[in-house]
Amino acid sequence: MPEQDDIRIGVYVCHCGGNISDTVNCERVAESLRGLPNVVVARTDMSMCSDAGQSLIEEDIREQGVNRVVVGACAPALHERTFRGTVARAGLNPYLYHHVGLREQDSWVHHGTPGKATEKAIRLMHAGVAKAQLLEPLDTIRLDAEQHALVIGGGVAGLRAAWDIARRGIRVTLIEQSPFLGGRMAQLEILFPTGEDARQALHGLIQQVQAHPLITLLTGATLTGVRGYVGDFQVEITQQPRGVSEDFAHFEAAAAACPVEVPDEFNYGLTTRKAIYRPYSDAVPNAPAIDWANCTRCGACQSADGAGIDLENTPNLHTLKVGAVVVATGFRPYEPRQGEFGYGQFPEVVTLAQMIRLLALNEDGQQLTWHGREVNTIALIHCVGSRETPGVQEPHEDGRVNDYCSRVCCTATLQLTNELRERFPEVNLFDLYEDIRTYGRGHEDIYEQASAGGVRFMRFHGDERPEVLAAPTGEESPLLVRIKDYLTWGTELDVPADLVVLATGMLPNPVDDIVDLLKIAQGNDRFLLEVHPKLRPVETAVTGVVLAGTAQGPMNIQEACAAASAAAAKVAVLLGRGVVSLEPFVARVNPDLCSGSGECVAVCAYEDAIALEPISVNGHSAHKAVVSPANCVGCGVCVSACPNHAIDVQGWTLKQYEAMVEAIVADLPLLEVAQ
Amino acid sequence: MTQDKQAARERTARLKKLREEHQESIERTRTHLKAQQEIRRAITAAMRGGATTVPEIADASDLPADQVLWHVTAMKKYDLVVETGRSGDYYCYALPEGQL
Amino acid sequence: MSDYDLKVDALVVGGGIAGMQSALDLADQGYRVALVEKEASIGGKMIMLSKVFPTLDCCSCITTPKMSAVAHHDNITLLTTCEVQAFTGNVQGGYTVEVQQNPRYVDTDACTGCRQCEYACPVDLTSTFDLGMGATRAIRVPFSTAVPQKAIIDIEHCLLCGKCEKVCSVEAIDFTQQPYTFTIETNAVVLATGFRLTPTDAKHEYGGGKILNVIDALSMERLLAPTGPYGHILRPSDGKEPESIAYVQCAGSRDQTLGVEYCSRVCCMYAVKQAMLLSGALPLADITIYYMDIRTFGKGYEQFYQNAKAMGIEFVRGKVAQITEDEGHNPLVRVELTDEGRIVERAHDLIVLSVGMLPGNNLEPIYGVQPGRDGFAAIPAPNLFPAETARPGIFVTGTASGPMDIVDSIVLAGAAAAQAAAYLETSHSQTDVIPTAVPEVAHA
Repeated sequence: MPEQDDIRIGVYVCHCGGNISDTVNCERVAESLRGLPNVVVARTDMSMCSDAGQSLIEEDIREQGVNRVVVGACAPALHERTFRGTVARAGLNPYLYHHVGLREQDSWVHHGTPGKATEKAIRLMHAGVAKAQLLEPLDTIRLDAEQHALVIGGGVAGLRAAWDIARRGIRVTLIEQSPFLGGRMAQLEILFPTGEDARQALHGLIQQVQAHPLITLLTGATLTGVRGYVGDFQVEITQQPRGVSEDFAHFEAAAAACPVEVPDEFNYGLTTRKAIYRPYSDAVPNAPAIDWANCTRCGACQSADGAGIDLENTPNLHTLKVGAVVVATGFRPYEPRQGEFGYGQFPEVVTLAQMIRLLALNEDGQQLTWHGREVNTIALIHCVGSRETPGVQEPHEDGRVNDYCSRVCCTATLQLTNELRERFPEVNLFDLYEDIRTYGRGHEDIYEQASAGGVRFMRFHGDERPEVLAAPTGEESPLLVRIKDYLTWGTELDVPADLVVLATGMLPNPVDDIVDLLKIAQGNDRFLLEVHPKLRPVETAVTGVVLAGTAQGPMNIQEACAAASAAAAKVAVLLGRGVVSLEPFVARVNPDLCSGSGECVAVCAYEDAIALEPISVNGHSAHKAVVSPANCVGCGVCVSACPNHAIDVQGWTLKQYEAMVEAIVADLPLLEVAQ
Repeated sequence: MTQDKQAARERTARLKKLREEHQESIERTRTHLKAQQEIRRAITAAMRGGATTVPEIADASDLPADQVLWHVTAMKKYDLVVETGRSGDYYCYALPEGQL
Repeated sequence: MSDYDLKVDALVVGGGIAGMQSALDLADQGYRVALVEKEASIGGKMIMLSKVFPTLDCCSCITTPKMSAVAHHDNITLLTTCEVQAFTGNVQGGYTVEVQQNPRYVDTDACTGCRQCEYACPVDLTSTFDLGMGATRAIRVPFSTAVPQKAIIDIEHCLLCGKCEKVCSVEAIDFTQQPYTFTIETNAVVLATGFRLTPTDAKHEYGGGKILNVIDALSMERLLAPTGPYGHILRPSDGKEPESIAYVQCAGSRDQTLGVEYCSRVCCMYAVKQAMLLSGALPLADITIYYMDIRTFGKGYEQFYQNAKAMGIEFVRGKVAQITEDEGHNPLVRVELTDEGRIVERAHDLIVLSVGMLPGNNLEPIYGVQPGRDGFAAIPAPNLFPAETARPGIFVTGTASGPMDIVDSIVLAGAAAAQAAAYLETSHSQTDVIPTAVPEVAHA
């Protein structure tokens, strides 16, 4: 600790462009600070965070010998880092800086009482100065970063992120929980807006990923354990074996022999498959896999080629050390409830996802049929499972409604209508929507084309959604869709339908286990939550864990790839130079005072943050508390529990708090403040 | 010749060249400035005469209201006019003390 | 000033939010970056806004940290008032870029941004930053949060009277400055040149720019911003505080008569946002939004829209056909109420046109990046490679590649940085990149 005389404090009160100065008299605040011991400079400025404002601080450090800086400004979350940078640039340890929030904590909540707001600002700044007296230089915690990233999810976002990270020179292990790569993109046929073939594009990417020497792919693999922190996560991966060897060449025979038949999830239940399966002929990896959940281990498949099949599904455990984790766990399409728009009630009601598969299965069909009937009229209904309103739609199992927009369905649905129009020109198409959200580049053209192609549009209000009913006997079509159509000024219309397609939205895949393991957050919409949608759109609150793709929210493939690349950039920033920096606000033990009581360990809520360890003291073995700085979040609970005051949080010590509190409650000579 | 004198000579020469290059724009700006000053005179006269809102100042100075708004805004930015309160749906402006 | 050559790993063209984010994401990895911006300050269009959706954060608070980080990053060379003139491939597989620095007539090393010169200058001009509603002077610091916070002279409107020189206490005025060209050598380029707003006079049906109380949405942003020209929401014809404000959606987008058939993507959200802010600023005002479809598609956006409805903002479906005005400059809207099937004429105090985004600069002449059908930069494989152009080592990000909001721009900027970094690692020798020390403070 420097001598008292050597401490030279610079204090700065920001006007914040009026945000503070409209209520708080900044000049009076600065004036009240000038006389305080060790305060050598007290200034105000319109905007301390601006370049000019920051220069004031730098100049004072260089020319006035200021060696402790206090700035009263907006909340620390916004500019504390900025000012630490300012101070560091001028050659001072960045932790000899203290930030006082005068905006969110003062001017914004007391703008009706400027006099009191000014007094509060004076007290807060005095507290800041009191703390500044006790600031010590601290070092950022630098840790070696393992240049290895874990990507969870083998869909397009996970693949894209993995490839970008690997090309940057960082090792990647990608785990995919199913036996096959490609995720939802493999279940598409044509991509908008380009009209390109989905699987072809996907396989191009998969090939690049497979070919890259820095990427290891593990299918049938899930995350089952996580410890550690950014730069040094120890992760446990549990991998189910495939059950079938890589070069297995008798798939057709094995599948024919298998007695177990289950709905094929690749086609959303429209077809069935066996317990030894491959979703499509050129799936990657190409070897078929055993569906362990449904396999009865009867061994019938082994009659074709016993050597290639192993029905022992002992899982493999992999332990890896990684520096960062990318969560790319994707989405599942909303499945309508029983009876919702007739789903599950009438066989003629299908989802958009099913319809896409249906058309693919019907590749060479001249006439569209469904369950043997000719399809002449199709009604498509938008916003199923999206844009729900509490009180209008029933809540789901978790008590919530899906109040969000699923973003991709309008364009996807209209693309489907265009495809239908092209392949089956005679089919009548009715599109029932709330708003048409073809917002993206090239998307409006798809809407135009649908309209020009004779798709008939009808518009409902969100709180008066269409009803799907059985048509009266004698009608040509089995169903009718009743809609209050506002394109015809609220007329109630009955639309006949041989097929009803529900444009269903997106839900995140159920990843509660990953959320728990990584300690990341979910938003109200159940998707994974980013720290800040603008400042840090792909980062979670856990340093080192980033998001890619629809795990975060509905988005199309283009947007998922952009997000995945952005996530890769974040990983490269964290790991690229082999070192991560963490802030030093962690607990620190004074071993001389520590009696090894273990109270701190008992109250600590963070894994591996503090432990008692044997230390040799004068030849005797004693136990002392030892903090693992990287795991400690600096919450201070240990400080309150320690009977010997042997532990403190660096940068936020008990003595500093005491000094601040004393300053806040002190009998300040009350200056004349404007009422 | 000293450094300073040399520099001063260069500067004068450069300025002369600049003035030649920008003869047209300088002329244009001068005309613009003259017109601006006339408008300002009319506005300050109207304000001295008691007009406080934009419509009142426009009326008194016989200038279009949108023009008055722009000028009052410009003057307010550079502390030549202050806002003093409201009158109905309009804000009131005045010359700063010491300039009345 | 002398010529100088600069060698970097990546050149970022454009200092708006996308350019800044790409630059930071590259610089944080240790790459040397040059950021070239043609205006006197970085910040682009974003720094002009009031609050941003859907969080309603103050826009300055989101943007200035990035501007400051760019200005101070050890790995970023910030070049303002600079424009790229020429761009050619070089023998090492990189690019040689010719840049022209346009003179400020102010010595930026000496200038402290004190603005005494601005106060002394006699020439008042309409401020482009305030969309013509406010004033600036022939010499000025561009705006209060400009980075760099230095003065610049608009020589086309300067009298060369020398008043600024007289009051400058650090002798920063320098009329001897001239444009000069220098060369940058780079291996990768990220184009973040942004967009243009649809001009307010684009549609004669909407008054052709002649109706005083018909303004565009960016003008309304300035009115809503704390640093706005009037300090209040006032209408331009006479400074009256409006009691009835209407938004015209799709004013310049989804419009075949203008040749702009695409959706500009951001206007529904910004109109809803502005309407919510106006409800706060003018609690007694009626606010109406005339729309075709409400496209609030992003994360948290639909909830934002429903909140606005609950606040009493009126949403009326109908494409405004015509705007006229009466003698008092009160605008009159003619629209078909499609839900009811009748045509009405409604008077309001102020109309805001939700104008769209047009392509900014044509990137073909200099960079050889062709425009797509919509005029924005063509992206050959947009689904899997959203930031890559047809030319190796040239990436495009932000609204240069199409209309998008700030969230999507920031994400795409990260993507462009990732692509550029991967390109640098795989195409160019690593020995050129000298890793710098990990900064003391990690950047946002």
